Amino acid sequence: MRRLVDKLVTLVFWGTALSLGALLFGVLGFVAHRGWEAISWDFIFEPPRNGMTAGGVWTPLVGTLELITVSMGATIPVGVGTGLYFSEYAADSLFTHVLRQSIRALAGVPSVVFGLFGLSLFVIFLGFGSSMLSASLTLACLSLPLMVTASEQAFRAVPRDYRDASYALGATKWQTIRKVVLPSAASTIITGVILSIGRVAGETAPIIFTGAAFYTPGAARSLFDEVMALPYHVYVLATAGTNIQGTRSLQYGAILVLMGLVLGISSVGVWMRARLNRGK
Amino acid sequence: MDKTQTKSDRDFSHPQVRTENLNLYYGADRVLQSLSFDIPRGCVAAFIGPSGCGKSSYLRCLNRMNDFIPGARAEGRVLIDGTDIYAPDVDVIALRRRVGMVFQKPNPFPMSIYENVAYGPRLFGVRDREVLDETVRSSLEGAALWGEVKDKLNTPGTGLSGGQQQRLCIARAIATEPEVLLMDEPTSALDPLSTARIEELIRDLKSRFTVAIVTHNMQQAARISDHTAFFLLGELVEYGPTSQIFTAPEDKRTEDYITGRFG
Repeated sequence: MRRLVDKLVTLVFWGTALSLGALLFGVLGFVAHRGWEAISWDFIFEPPRNGMTAGGVWTPLVGTLELITVSMGATIPVGVGTGLYFSEYAADSLFTHVLRQSIRALAGVPSVVFGLFGLSLFVIFLGFGSSMLSASLTLACLSLPLMVTASEQAFRAVPRDYRDASYALGATKWQTIRKVVLPSAASTIITGVILSIGRVAGETAPIIFTGAAFYTPGAARSLFDEVMALPYHVYVLATAGTNIQGTRSLQYGAILVLMGLVLGISSVGVWMRARLNRGK
Repeated sequence: MDKTQTKSDRDFSHPQVRTENLNLYYGADRVLQSLSFDIPRGCVAAFIGPSGCGKSSYLRCLNRMNDFIPGARAEGRVLIDGTDIYAPDVDVIALRRRVGMVFQKPNPFPMSIYENVAYGPRLFGVRDREVLDETVRSSLEGAALWGEVKDKLNTPGTGLSGGQQQRLCIARAIATEPEVLLMDEPTSALDPLSTARIEELIRDLKSRFTVAIVTHNMQQAARISDHTAFFLLGELVEYGPTSQIFTAPEDKRTEDYITGRFG
């Protein structure tokens, strides 16, 4: 009887894991199936044409890359810095506790709220207008909680032994952090960056109000230009395009490109992490 | 820093480490009670006693690693080479460069063997590759590890065996040319063969450093030390030449402990 229960439980967990995998591959397969015919070199490297009923996704693809770059440029230093503060400098006080919980709570705020926040702070109050900069900073705010939490965990996971050894050799706190704590935490931080990029690349709501363009003839040339982005492009093709039925394959093709992009960036991150871990 | 010069400057007539009426508190608990004794230059001093007797806490007073324990507070004086290391104007960073430490569990950094040893010198701003190469070589030789690792200096230090890792940590500690070397049960995580090698090494090291070692192993204290201190409940029960402590202890408690009646 006990063995039967054991087998049953094993089966249940096995089943849940399997269904998750099936779901993932189901989605991937569905998108690949529907979008495959649209994919070609021209599709990737050409801008949308004819009122977005033909051509490719080059402009939104570049736009998404720009958004990722600028938002990560803001998120990584601020997120890692805050994680460092919590792990190494903050006293164990009520203030720290409240601050940390607030950041955790931010992670649960709906992305559309970030969009409205970005609209009032970056677009209007700071006067950046509807632009790539406003959109990127809004996305940075969105991914900050994840980045802070991931970095703090990464720093906390660095063994006490390393710090002791460093201090005992006459290192200052900053030398210890820079030479021992940061390098040891780097691979976990990269995981946080990968997750943040995945999140940022796919968000639509925060950028609709802050800088995403329905259509631009070319990629954004400055931080203050509006920018096309893949997720918003997909949304437009699916709901507001000039020929919704006729552009289904473009829409699935764009989703496929977006997924490929995130997968590609993640692979680079995983490769970097593996390289870092080899040195240990 | 020139090694030969500092050596000749050393005055062998004065104690290297003088402890005067040292009390250590963790919050309200007094974990060290009015310790006063001298460790002479160029000798190995072993601290023995049951767990929780304060011997490791005392060791950590000597390089002020207790500063990291919240609520820890030391009263009294510890003079290293005549300088009170608890004086208000003392530079703790500079102190730790003069007093090296080897920990209970081998704790090489997750870096190459070379970078582990070069870590200390680099902290003090040594950039010259030749100087670093030379320091790494001489330190690894000093730690009796050079022969085993000279062809793989760029491989991770964590890939070595436990005993080798501990010798790497010793090399790392002596690379900064400290005057005093603290060792906190350095062989308790090692097999007997590795332990024997480290003990041999400690005997060699005392020609260059004053060594203060905490050990749970009384045979080890008897084998390698010149002076032995017996701690009990934060108190220094007896301190003297090792041969005397082990053959003719003056205090009944010391005798009971070394003959295995408790502890």
